Amino acid sequence: MSEKGKRPPRVKDVQQGVWTPDAIAEIRYKAQLGKHRIRGCGTPRKLPHFDDLVVLPSQLTRMSIDTYREHCETQTVLGARFAKKPLVIETPIMISGMSYGALSKEAKIALARATDIIGTSINNGEGGLLPEERENSYKQVVQILPSRMGFTLRNIEAADALEIIVGIGAKPGLSGHLMASKITKEIAAFRQLPEGIDLHSHPRHGDIFGADDLCLKMDELRDVTNSEIPIFLKLAAGRVWEDVKIAVKAGVDGIVIDGAEGGTGAAPVVASNHLGIPTLPALVQATRALEDMGVKEEVSLIVSGGIKDGADVAKALALGADAVALGTGAMIAMGCTVCLRCHEGKCAFGIGTQDPEQRKKLNIEKAAQQVANYIRGMTYEAVILAKAAGKTKLKSMEREDLRALTLEACAMTGIPLMGSNYTFGEMFGFC
Amino acid sequence: MVRLDLVEMTSREVNQQLKKLIGTEPDIDIYNPHSIHNFATALIGDGKVTVHGSTGFYTGGFLEGPSLIIEGNTGWYTGDNMMAGEIIVQMNTGSNAAPSMVGGNLVIRGNSGSRAGWGMKGGNLVVCGDVGRWTGKMTLGGRIVVLGRIGEGAGESMYNGVIHTLDPGVEEKLGGNVRLIPIEDPEKKELEALFKQYDIAQGVDDFMSIVPAVYGRHDYSLFEPTHTPKSSLPKSQARG
Repeated sequence: MSEKGKRPPRVKDVQQGVWTPDAIAEIRYKAQLGKHRIRGCGTPRKLPHFDDLVVLPSQLTRMSIDTYREHCETQTVLGARFAKKPLVIETPIMISGMSYGALSKEAKIALARATDIIGTSINNGEGGLLPEERENSYKQVVQILPSRMGFTLRNIEAADALEIIVGIGAKPGLSGHLMASKITKEIAAFRQLPEGIDLHSHPRHGDIFGADDLCLKMDELRDVTNSEIPIFLKLAAGRVWEDVKIAVKAGVDGIVIDGAEGGTGAAPVVASNHLGIPTLPALVQATRALEDMGVKEEVSLIVSGGIKDGADVAKALALGADAVALGTGAMIAMGCTVCLRCHEGKCAFGIGTQDPEQRKKLNIEKAAQQVANYIRGMTYEAVILAKAAGKTKLKSMEREDLRALTLEACAMTGIPLMGSNYTFGEMFGFC
Repeated sequence: MVRLDLVEMTSREVNQQLKKLIGTEPDIDIYNPHSIHNFATALIGDGKVTVHGSTGFYTGGFLEGPSLIIEGNTGWYTGDNMMAGEIIVQMNTGSNAAPSMVGGNLVIRGNSGSRAGWGMKGGNLVVCGDVGRWTGKMTLGGRIVVLGRIGEGAGESMYNGVIHTLDPGVEEKLGGNVRLIPIEDPEKKELEALFKQYDIAQGVDDFMSIVPAVYGRHDYSLFEPTHTPKSSLPKSQARG
């Protein structure tokens, strides 16, 4: 019993072990409402990341390339496996799928303009292709999602590449969540939804029930597109090694691997925090799968989920990626503060909202330029590392250029531990 | 009339040939279809294509304009993402007919499998026989008409659109987030016109309509205990 006048210890005073403030808040939320929590932006958990690797500089074993006076190729060609017109972009940094609905029209236009400034691609995301997005984009990737909201043959005709969505990193095994606050009259009409409904899309395609059907579906889409444009397939990172092999057999031109760091407009917190594996080990497994099948040079590999700077880009390319895709990073460049409340639709920066007043706060031209600047700066950073490693092409980055800072990263990637040539685990690429 | 024999043709070759012919040849007859998959994909234009036999999966995917008549059966995903025109299947189809259909008419004279009209956004799907489970799941628009029996979970989580059914036991087979109402007069007239167009001898007065229950928030339960909590029992039955 406490002494008179002295406050007894309370739960919040004991922030040890599993009973962290977050855990306590989650319990109280469920105790009060009897349901799971929805949140935007993806997981805030600390996960193994590209920061756990370093790039080895060239010294006497190879010559470095002059950072400011010699050229390093950044142009990237994706989807050349079967498509007659592969996707050609000026930097291996793409904008990933974020829907009109999750984002405001102004944000979508700004992102599209950024791709035109910098020479890369944007991806429409769920819920149809906004005409203004297509008008402003440099290269347009069109997603084929289970919901098919707003999707027609016209979308395919407008696309420079298609992306069949099987899963996304922020909520693998689940599908799109768009809360009522964002289903305005305009969004409802665009998606053929009732206004103000809480949307929970379906995770399975109504016309692809399994891998065998996917093979036929690929043939169908080749017929529709006359094999002109690439067809990518996006997978959430889970059983990556197996999933990638199935996708390759189905005949895709490229595979997008979305790691657990991937962002989203809204997802159950339990899904974001506990489903799927991070981008780093997912990329390693995807590369291994392609190499095992002997198609690494044929099938393009794109990774997304937590890519934040040029160092991540250079390291991802070294580990086998052909390109990376940005979501949250591009939003931050527009002004997003990652408040984790995208799902509420009240974004004060006019990005993740459909509120007419909030939308006015986003200056399209300024936001477009900021995103373009961000991608330009990231590309510079990647080029600096590549040149220091002795590469005249960004895509020439290779695993041998990396070392792991931690035992965990070493075991996970097969990249030797720094200061040694030793690896622990599966000896990825260094057998 | 043009006659195409598919006995040694791949679906890709067939479709390329059809794309050349459609719009210039009013009647195209197909023989030996050997249940070919992806038949008539993204065929755009006017004309009539008659298949003397059965076709496989994804028949008439992204079709836009032509009249496609299949004298036999078709596989899964018939009328996949269909845009406009019509597909008439004289016998049965596999599951998932008319997935994400945008427009046009798909008429199935026989039965269809489960999940007919999955995610439909427009157009008409008419099944003269029975359909399996989850018909019209998560539709965004369009009309599904079932003259025979309808499976369980009918209309699960429809957002928009309507399912007209004659199944007397339909009330026990409704999916979540839908309700059953009598057919309305304007709909009767539209159905009459549709039936007349396809020579379907069926009255329209007895149809019931499955429509979204609420144009607002769907109700889901991710955990459904089967026991009866003691607190909800009368005191005389509660133990412990």
